[in-house]
Amino acid sequence: MKEQLQERLRHHCTAEGLTLDRADPRQWFVDGPRERVRDFAAAMVTEGARYVVSMGYDEIARNGTLGLVHSFAFDREGLFLHFRTNAPAADPSFESITPDIPNAGWSEREYMDLLGLKFSGHPKPKRLVLADDWPEGIYPLRKEVPHDLVPPAAEDVAYQLEQGPPGTTTIPIGPYHPCLHEPEHFAVYVDGETIKGCDYRGFMTHRGIEKLCTTAVSYNEVPYIAERICGICGTVHATAYSQAVERAAGIRIPRRAEFIRTMMLEIERIHSHLLWLGVAGHLIGFDTVFMQAWRVREQIMWLCERLTGNRKTYGMVQIGGVRRDVTPEIREDILGVIGQVEKELLVIRKAIQNDSSIHRRTKGVGTLSHEEAVRWSLVGPVARARGVDIDVRRDHPYAAYDEVRFEVPVFTGCDAWSTLQVRMIETFEAIRIIRQVLEKMPGGPILFEFQDPIAPGLHAMSAVEAPRGESTHYIITGENNRAERWRVRAPTYPNLQAVPLMLLDEQFADFPIIVGSIDPCFSCTDRVGVVNARSGGYSVMTRFELEALGRRKGESV
Amino acid sequence: MWLTSKLRQILMVLRAGVVTLKYPFEPRPVPEGFRGAPVWDHHKCIGCGGCADHCPARSILIRDVCQELRVMLYDGSRCTYCGRCADVCPEKAIRMSEAYELACDRREDVTTRLELFMLTCQRCGRCYEMENKNAIDRLSLKGFRYDNLERRALVRTSTERLSPELLKKTDH
Amino acid sequence: MSTLTTSLNILAFLGLSPLFEAIIRKVSARVQARQGPPLVQPYLDLLKLLGRENIDSAGTWPFRLAPLIALASILTVVAVLPLAGRESAFTAQADTITLVYLLTLGGVSVLLGAFASRNPYALIGASREMITMILVEPVLAMVLLLGALKAGSLDLMSALYGAIRPGYGIAVVVMLAVYLLGLQAFVARQPFDIAEAEVEILGGPFIEYSGPNFALFKYYLMIKQMFYAYLPVAIFVPLPRSGFYGVDLLVQLALTGLVFILIGLLAATHPRFRIDQAIRYYAVLFVLAVLALGLSLSGF
Repeated sequence: MKEQLQERLRHHCTAEGLTLDRADPRQWFVDGPRERVRDFAAAMVTEGARYVVSMGYDEIARNGTLGLVHSFAFDREGLFLHFRTNAPAADPSFESITPDIPNAGWSEREYMDLLGLKFSGHPKPKRLVLADDWPEGIYPLRKEVPHDLVPPAAEDVAYQLEQGPPGTTTIPIGPYHPCLHEPEHFAVYVDGETIKGCDYRGFMTHRGIEKLCTTAVSYNEVPYIAERICGICGTVHATAYSQAVERAAGIRIPRRAEFIRTMMLEIERIHSHLLWLGVAGHLIGFDTVFMQAWRVREQIMWLCERLTGNRKTYGMVQIGGVRRDVTPEIREDILGVIGQVEKELLVIRKAIQNDSSIHRRTKGVGTLSHEEAVRWSLVGPVARARGVDIDVRRDHPYAAYDEVRFEVPVFTGCDAWSTLQVRMIETFEAIRIIRQVLEKMPGGPILFEFQDPIAPGLHAMSAVEAPRGESTHYIITGENNRAERWRVRAPTYPNLQAVPLMLLDEQFADFPIIVGSIDPCFSCTDRVGVVNARSGGYSVMTRFELEALGRRKGESV
Repeated sequence: MWLTSKLRQILMVLRAGVVTLKYPFEPRPVPEGFRGAPVWDHHKCIGCGGCADHCPARSILIRDVCQELRVMLYDGSRCTYCGRCADVCPEKAIRMSEAYELACDRREDVTTRLELFMLTCQRCGRCYEMENKNAIDRLSLKGFRYDNLERRALVRTSTERLSPELLKKTDH
Repeated sequence: MSTLTTSLNILAFLGLSPLFEAIIRKVSARVQARQGPPLVQPYLDLLKLLGRENIDSAGTWPFRLAPLIALASILTVVAVLPLAGRESAFTAQADTITLVYLLTLGGVSVLLGAFASRNPYALIGASREMITMILVEPVLAMVLLLGALKAGSLDLMSALYGAIRPGYGIAVVVMLAVYLLGLQAFVARQPFDIAEAEVEILGGPFIEYSGPNFALFKYYLMIKQMFYAYLPVAIFVPLPRSGFYGVDLLVQLALTGLVFILIGLLAATHPRFRIDQAIRYYAVLFVLAVLALGLSLSGF
C-alpha cells in the first residue's frame, strides 16, 4: 500500500519534471516551478491526500524570491509531502489552490497579508490576519520589517463584513461575547431564529509570536514561548516545535524524555477534554456539568503543579528532551490521581450519557457530512465525529506513541453529541496511555544537550495530535542560533473554516454549542503576524464617537 | 432515562461535596518545586547575565553603568514564571519562590533591582570598552549590555532597517 | 387592619424575595460543589445596582418607564394578594382577571423596555419572551380558574383557596402536576430561561439596562419569582388554620422556601431548552391544563 503510493508519487514527480527529496522517509519535499502549484495540489487530492497547511517564507536575501510550501498528508501511509515553490519578489504571484481545496483559503489570505504574495483565482481575497489599520505595502513577515515596528494607528478604517442574504437580520457575536472565550467577531445572519449564514473576522489576538521567535530569541527559549501560543495545549506546541527543530537538526533525544513527553501530552489531553466538557455544559446552559467536570479537572491541575511546578504552562519540554524527571514518588502520585479521575469521570459519564435533556441540545446539532469533513480537511475530534478515521498519534507516530496501544474512537453521528462522545472516550484512552507509559518507561537521561550549531536552511515539519486535533509546526533553520521561519498551524485553523457550514440552517440558540463543538482556540489560530495588536474598528460606533459619548456622560456627571 | 440520569446527577453531586475554598482566607499551600516569583540572592550573583540572555520574556535587563557597576533589573510584570533563569544560573543565585499572589498596582512592587560591583579583568584591565563608542555600537561588544531600564526595554538595532520613507508613504 | 395586611404583604415580598433568590443560588452552588455566595448577596447586589449610574442608552421614555411599570405592576399583584388566607385592603376590588392582567402587564413592560432599547440581543430576547408569555399565561389563568370554577366565583379568595376546599380530585392532581411541570417556565429558570439565555443573548431584554433601572427589573423578577413559588402553596396546600395569622403565614412561607429549593434543584440539573423545544413543551402543558379544567367541570 505504502510502496504503491510512493511509487506513484515518484512517477508523478518524474513525469512532471519535479525534484523529489526523499531523505526523510516520513516527509518528502517536492520542488517545482510555481506554474505547477495548482495541478500538483489537484493531483494530490485525487491521490487521497489531506491538505494540511501552506507556508510562505522570505528568501529575498538568499536568492531574491518569496517561497511557498503547500503541505499534504497521506494519513494511511504515514507520509507528509511538502510542495515547495517560489516566485521572484518583484512578481510574487501564484495560482490559488483554494477553488480545489477550500481549506487553503485562510493560508493563502494569511500570506497575502503577511508576505505580500498574490494568489490569482482566490474566491475571497480579503484581509485576514492584519489589523484593519495596518498600512498597505508593509508585509510584517518579510525580513526587512523589524519585529517591533509600530506603524501609526488609523481611526477611520473598518473591515467590511459581507452583506447577509436578503430578509435576514445581522446579529453581531463578538468581539466580546460570553460564548466566545477570546475576542473574535462573527456576524450571524438570522431569519427569525434560523441562521442563514455568517461572516467571520478574527485574528484579533495576534501576538507576533512567529516573527518574534525568528528575530529576538534563540532556539532554546522558543519552547517556553510556544507553550504560550495556547493556554490549554501548551505542551503540544512546545513538543511540536522541539520535534521540528530536532528533526531538522537530526538530534535524537533520549527515549525516557520521549516517554515523559508522551505522558505530559496525555495529561494535557485529559485536562483539555475535561475543560471542554465543562465548557460545552456551560454553553447549553447546564452549569452543573461545567462545575463538576472542572472539579475533576482541578485534580489534574494540582497534579501538574506537583509534577512541573505550575498548574498550566508546564514548561516541561525543551529542545533535546524534558526538564524534570518522573521520580518514583511522583509516579505513584500520577497513578493515584488518574485512577481517581477515571473513577469520577465514569460517574459523570453515567450521569450524562443517557440524559435526554442533553441529547436534545446536542444531537443533530452542528451537522456536517462525512464528505464535507473530508473536503474541508477537518482534523481531530471534529473529524472523528464525522467518520474520518485520522489521528496523528497513530498515523504519524512521534515521541513514544509507537510503543503504546490505544483506540482511536470514530463516530458517524456528524453532530455535537458525537464530538462529545469522541472526547469522552479519548479521555479514558489517555488514562490508559499514561498507565502504559509509566509501566514501560525506560531509565536513562532526560536531556540531550546539543552543542553544535544547527546548520541553516534545513526544512522540517512535525505534527502532534493536540486535544483539538492535529497541530503542525514547520521550521526552516537559520543563522544566529535561531529559526529563519517557523509556521504554526493549530487545529482550530482548519476546523474554524468549516464552522459557517455547520451553522447553516441551524437555530440561533445552538450557535454557542456549534462553535463550542470544535473546541475553538482562537489564540492558537491567531498566533502569527504583527507585533502590535490594536483593536480594529468593528463596532458600529467608531472610537471617536465612543469617546465623544464618554465625554458627554462625564460632563453630565 | 431522564429520571435515572437526574438521580445519577444528584448522587454524583452528593458524593462530591463542596470543594471550593474560602480562598483569600484559606490559601492553598503550594507544593515542593513550585515555580513562583524568582528571587535573587545578591550574595551569590556574579553578574554573568545568563538569566538575562535566556529569559524568554526578556524581562531581565542589564545595564552596564560603568566599568565597575552593573545594574540588573527584573521586571515581574512581564515574567511568565518559566523558571529558565533559575535553570541556567551557574551559581544557583536564583530560586523560584513560593509566592504566587503577585497582583499589585505598582510595577515597582514586582521589580527586583541588583546593583553589582564587577571586578576589573586582571589580564586586560577592561572587559567593556566604555569610551569612544555610542550605546548601539557597544552592543556588538561581547558581554556588554545597555538595556533601557527606564522604559524597561531591551536595546536592539532592528528598527533601523526599515526605511522611514516607506512608513511615511503608507501612512493613512 | 386590612391596610396593615396590605403593607405586610408588600413588606414580606420586598423583604423576603431576595432571600429566596439567595436560596436558589445556595442550592445550585451546593449542586455544583461550590460554597456559593452568602445569603445576603442578592440584597447587596440590589444595593450595589441602586448606587450605580443609570445609563440611559436608548434615551426614550418607554425605556425609562418600563422598569417602573414592571415593579409597580408586580407590587400591585402583591398588594391584592390574600396572603395566608387573609384579605388585604384591595383584595375585594380585584379578581382573578385583574391578577392575570397585572401579571401580564409586568411581562409587557419587559417587552416594552426590550423593544425600546433596540439592541439586537434584546429584540431576540423579547421575541422569545413574547412567545413564552403567549403560551404560559393561559396555563396560569387556567390554574387560577380551577379554584374559581370550584367556588363559582372569580374573586381572589376562591381562586386561591377554593380549589382544594372540596377535597383533592383528579382535576386538582392533574393541575398540580401541570403547575410543577410549568414551574420553571413561570419563574423563567433553567431549562426555560430562554429569553435571558446568558451565553447566547447576554440577558436578552435586560441587556441595555444598568444601575437603578436594572435593580428595579431585578427586584421585579425576584418578587415575580416569589409570587409564582407562593402560588402553588396557596392553591394546592391546605391552610393550617391554626387560628394565629402569624403561624399560618410562617408555614406558608416555609413551604414557599421548599418550592424554591425545588426550583434551584431543577435549574441546576437541566440544560437550557431551545425555543422550538420549549414551544412543544408548553403546548403539552396547555393541553393538560385544559384537560384538568374539563375534568373539574365534569365533577372529578
